[in-house]
Parts: sequence; C-alpha cells; structure tokens
Amino acid sequence: MATEDDSAVKEPLDLIRLSLDERIYVKLRADRELRGKLHAYDQHLNMILGDVEEVVTSVEIDDETYEEIVRTSKRHMPYLFVRGDGVILVSPPLRTS
Amino acid sequence: MSGGAGGGAVGSAKTPADFLKSIRGRPVVVKLNSGVDYRGILACLDGYMNIAMEQTEEYVNGQLKNKYGDAFIRGNNVLYISTTKRTLGD
Repeated sequence: MATEDDSAVKEPLDLIRLSLDERIYVKLRADRELRGKLHAYDQHLNMILGDVEEVVTSVEIDDETYEEIVRTSKRHMPYLFVRGDGVILVSPPLRTS
Repeated sequence: MSGGAGGGAVGSAKTPADFLKSIRGRPVVVKLNSGVDYRGILACLDGYMNIAMEQTEEYVNGQLKNKYGDAFIRGNNVLYISTTKRTLGD
C-alpha cells in the first residue's frame, strides 16, 4: 500500500472534538437553532448539550402588505439530547461584535 | 473525450475521492439540499461529505445572512461542493 498522508489528515469530526466543553451554536432543520455547552457527540452528530437555549424561527408573509413577519420562540433546557439526523451545522457561538 | 473540469485548477482529479482530497484549503461553495449556500475556505472533509470550513458566510436567497468563524456541516445536507475563485464583496 502506498503510504498516504491520511494519518495526519484531520476529519471534520476531529475538529468538533476541539469544541467539547465549549459553548456552541447548532443549526437544526425546521428553522431551529440551539446554543449550549457541548458535553458529548458521536459520528452521527447526536449530541448532549447542557444549559441550552432553543430558538424556533417562523416567517409569516402578510397577504396584503407582503411584509415578512419574523417570529421567534425560545425555550431553555438544562440538559438536552439532540438526534444527529436533524443537525445541519455546528459552530462556535456567533459573536455579536 | 477530454475529461477534467473547466474552472479551478483541478485537472488531474480522476475520481470523486481524488477531487475531495485535492480541494482542501481552497475557497469553496457548499450548497445544501435546503438551498442555502455556504462560502468559505475548506478546512477538511470526509467520505460522508461532512465538511469543516473556515471564514464561512451563509447566503440565503443570494443574501448574506450570517458569518461563522468555523463551521461544521453534516454531510447528508450537502447537495454539492464546488471550488470557486472567491472574490470578496461579490
């Protein structure tokens, strides 16, 4: 077998490991977002998050004015298991500068 | 039949796996099944098309919506990964 550089190659999941015990931002399907502390994850991106805030976003369009009405609802959970198949994106929290 | 892609200097990639190995470090566009676009520099990716990117910008309907310093995208959401000559402010 030809020696490849693959032993040094980092996988995206390796880089998520760097975020363990850090706060992260997770974008989920169905216009949901989570912010919480990453306690654990696996290759499916199942995750255990602590001290979590979930934001659900919905956009209504007014029939007459075509105005976009953006609504968000939030809830807070001390502990949460997230099933990986709903995950779209994971990132360190967005900083509002 | 001439093979090879037109844009980006990836002429010698023969299989999708070769392409994936050759584009690390390049600016890319990742389009998701949902239609959302992410532009950034590809840090790494794996065979499931899970992606890690840096300096990521999120475009929804062509509009810049968010910026992420680092972003990990779950591969099942990815429609395609494309290299781009990234012009800032495009």
